[in-house]
Amino acid sequence: MNVEITDLTRRFGRTQAVAGVTMQIGPGVFGLLGPNGAGKTSLLRMLGTVIPPSSGRIRLLGHDLGGYGQRRLVRRRLGYLPQALGYYPGFTVVEFVEYFALLKEVPAEQVPRAVATAVERVGLGDKARARLRTLSGGMLRRVGIAQAIVNEPELLLLDEPTAGLDPEQRVTFRALLRDLGQRATVIVSTHLVEDVGAACTQVALMDAGRIVFHGTPDELTARAEGTAAAGDAPLERGYSAVLAEARS
Amino acid sequence: MTGGDQAMSGDDAMAGVWVNPAQCGPEPHDVDLARVWVGVAAKVWRRRAGPLERLAGRLLGSPGLARALVTTPSLVLGWVLATAVVLAAGMLATLQTGTPYVAFVAPALAGAGIAYAYGPGIDPAWELARSMAVSDRMVLLVRTLAVFAVNAALGLAASVASGVATAVVFGWLVPMTAVCALALAAATLARSANVGVAAGLTGWMITVLSGRAIDGEFTAVVTESGLVVPYLAFAVCCAGIVWHTTRSARGTS
Repeated sequence: MNVEITDLTRRFGRTQAVAGVTMQIGPGVFGLLGPNGAGKTSLLRMLGTVIPPSSGRIRLLGHDLGGYGQRRLVRRRLGYLPQALGYYPGFTVVEFVEYFALLKEVPAEQVPRAVATAVERVGLGDKARARLRTLSGGMLRRVGIAQAIVNEPELLLLDEPTAGLDPEQRVTFRALLRDLGQRATVIVSTHLVEDVGAACTQVALMDAGRIVFHGTPDELTARAEGTAAAGDAPLERGYSAVLAEARS
Repeated sequence: MTGGDQAMSGDDAMAGVWVNPAQCGPEPHDVDLARVWVGVAAKVWRRRAGPLERLAGRLLGSPGLARALVTTPSLVLGWVLATAVVLAAGMLATLQTGTPYVAFVAPALAGAGIAYAYGPGIDPAWELARSMAVSDRMVLLVRTLAVFAVNAALGLAASVASGVATAVVFGWLVPMTAVCALALAAATLARSANVGVAAGLTGWMITVLSGRAIDGEFTAVVTESGLVVPYLAFAVCCAGIVWHTTRSARGTS
């Protein structure tokens, strides 16, 4: 298993963002669903080694995250797209992706090719030398995805990756996700249930810091059967049914 | 290719590459054009590192750290020029009045530069950088040392040129260390560069005014040898705070 989490918690002052999550995740695309404030971003930030847990254990790619040496090994094989991507307005697309390739310690001689591959994979070849301040929100999101995949990560964490993408770009992005999921563990946090249905092999639903459902998209859909759960699509009704049950 | 005119063919979907089949035309079966193009793009788009970045890469043994160093906000040309201008003004004022303004200004300028070297709100990609193999603590250390060195060099040049006594020329370096440490500790603790600048300036101002009140002259804070140990002890305490605050195991969010 590439991700092993045991009794993971995270507190911010008096707020319990993540409340005892235990999960194991292998290769494939894993969807993390849940309402605002459910704890998805905090969970991803812990998996991305951005913040440490308050308690519990995280084991990524066969390494515990206790010491810096272990974290460094994991980070070289990790891709992370934060919910709010900070960027340097004066950097070009290539400069930005290259910067993070270097910080991920991609061997220097491999960096230009890795950058070109990542930029092409997100369809920004014609904007490679454009300054980031000139790009649209959707393009910036794709730049963020490019930096996340530039090191061919074995564990890829994407927080709301389709935010700002138009429908056509989302369809293309799902294909990219499926491709990445063939070799790596891809964890996608999203509000968009249709993204999960189209791209994910496994899905978990978080509410109030806890995992209230873990299974396949079909199993989530099946949870709506025999209920009057709200939703325009079967998966949405399953989502609503599980949330209603968890809160009852 | 743009987002609007892209589509994914079956084979390309497997490869996960955005392409526009209409623009590609017939593809020879024995040539992988996508691979060829990536090879070309890698050469065409390749960025040439500047001489400073190359030197830093050799010294630090890490191209990533060198790149992080040359993106330091308080080491951009505009910032360094502004620092030089202020110090030059201090030098001229010193030459005209005999009061060692450079010695008072240099620690404050260095403190501001250190506070603006790295951190949330200053480095736009700070959150992302915290998930990188090159640790953010190492980036902080390298940037801090570089900003300190640049400010010390500029300050020394201005101080020497202002023709003050030798004790004053070098006397402000130790207080500058303490002011920088205070600014960095405050900025790290509060996660705000502005708080760091305010703390550094306030601390230095209080020190200078206290020296004037006790000894009757402003220069006491930079010439009094008995203050060296307290300055250094204070700097070490502040460095300890920074070290503790940036520990990944404790977390900072």
